[in-house]
Amino acid sequence: MKKIINAPERFVDEFVEGILLAHPDLVKTPGADVRVMVRADAPVAGHVGIVTGGGSGHLPLFKGYVGTGLCSGVAIGNVFSSPSSDRIFQATKAVDGGAGVLYLYGNYGGDVFNFDLAGDLAELEGIETRTVLGRDDVASQPKERKLDRRGVAGIIFAYKTAGAAAERGDTLEQVASIAEDVVEHTATIGIGLAPTILPTTGKPSFELPDGEMEIGIGIHGEPGSRRGPLETADEIADHFVQALMDDLGLISGARVAVLVNGLGATPLEELYLLYRRTHQILAGRGIEIVKKYVGEYATSLEMAGASISLLELDDARLELLNAPALSPFFQER
Amino acid sequence: MQGRDINHHLTRSLEILVESADELRDLDQALGDGDLGITITAGSNAVVAELAKLSAEATPTDIARTCAKAFANANPSTMAALVAGALLSGSRVWEGKDEIGLQDVAAFTSAAAGSIAQRGKTQVGDKTILDGISAAADALRSATDTGRAVAAVVEAAARAVDETTGLQSRRGRASWLQERSIGLPDPGATAFVRFVEAWARVAESSR
Repeated sequence: MKKIINAPERFVDEFVEGILLAHPDLVKTPGADVRVMVRADAPVAGHVGIVTGGGSGHLPLFKGYVGTGLCSGVAIGNVFSSPSSDRIFQATKAVDGGAGVLYLYGNYGGDVFNFDLAGDLAELEGIETRTVLGRDDVASQPKERKLDRRGVAGIIFAYKTAGAAAERGDTLEQVASIAEDVVEHTATIGIGLAPTILPTTGKPSFELPDGEMEIGIGIHGEPGSRRGPLETADEIADHFVQALMDDLGLISGARVAVLVNGLGATPLEELYLLYRRTHQILAGRGIEIVKKYVGEYATSLEMAGASISLLELDDARLELLNAPALSPFFQER
Repeated sequence: MQGRDINHHLTRSLEILVESADELRDLDQALGDGDLGITITAGSNAVVAELAKLSAEATPTDIARTCAKAFANANPSTMAALVAGALLSGSRVWEGKDEIGLQDVAAFTSAAAGSIAQRGKTQVGDKTILDGISAAADALRSATDTGRAVAAVVEAAARAVDETTGLQSRRGRASWLQERSIGLPDPGATAFVRFVEAWARVAESSR
């Protein structure tokens, strides 16, 4: 496998340096450590800060959503591994504008331990924190165990809405409850067609024979919850949309936001095939698509595959989705 | 004990603890991912280095917090994060105190056990470090004599770990091995026993 890199151990630092050089108007590093990145105007006095973070290898997740009306800071880990509690704590201090900080990140063991510990350290310095976990992957656990589900692409809906709430001056309690509400109404499912190659090992994360796909894939190059024969784009969308509608309990008259997300190596053309069918099914069921996002929003390096996410909308969630936002990878006017 | 005594005693105990690194690494290779040796060595060395920078006036709370931060950052593993969280929980109990007695150590250890149970979503008998810490907390609560408390803690913690050797691990990577985990002591709990043994050795030698 060929990769455009210098040295595997410098991979993360160097791409973050690239982001900082490309977008100095939007993001900065508060100290000397490039693994802590915050919005250029942080801290914003009187406003709630939002810190996210996780392993690298998911761009535009997580770093791409630091900006106005989105997350205010990010702590950056190695490829697919948690950031340290110290970096999370540094990001917390750098974005704290006196109104507290929301920790908003995906539900993974290592991340939870380190964010919790950072929250302890923040509390000792008088910074109040709350935690909301992205847990939208319906394939990772059945509905009875939804609190144990892992977080995947659908977390961007929580970023967008919580970020908009923080921007308009909501309290920490309000921002956290908005994020929780959006997580509760978000569902995602994905498929993988080809594995990820880690820069450190140069090896594929799993083997997949021609003509098969991994169903229920996450964003860490891991295998899915089951394997099956490769289906057509329409069949994939049919199965996925049905699973998501069942999970969210969507009925005719509901309004949704749709996210068709590429995992890194799948062309936009194929994502639009999935969107086309998703649109047809939802329209046929009397469900109104109010917002749509098609492209790469959360990837797994060069994994081939895609995910579909739905967020059930009400007026409050829609208003926050529509609020302006600007970051290196995301814009809403 | 005052801050500077705790600092001194802790430093010497950790210097002894790292001698168990190979044993812990091997145990963890059998049951987990094998990084416990590094977590203990790197963590202990980092704590010792940070403790050396503290002034003689540092309070017991300052010392516990210094340990927590240094241990968490040295080798950021799940174990390191759990131990650091436990130390921070304990440090809150000591807030405002300059002198630490038997009851304070008992309260600290109980708070630490509570933190690990909550963060690690675990309970006594799951075959984790909690078994050792929880037994130590119980022994401390029922101890009346400071001189004999250390020996009682060592004995209680060692017995708890011994008793769980025959059980199946129910948390963490070791739980993935299911019944293959039966027969080996839990690596994290063993690390805790080695720590209290080291503490006891230092206590013995300073009499």
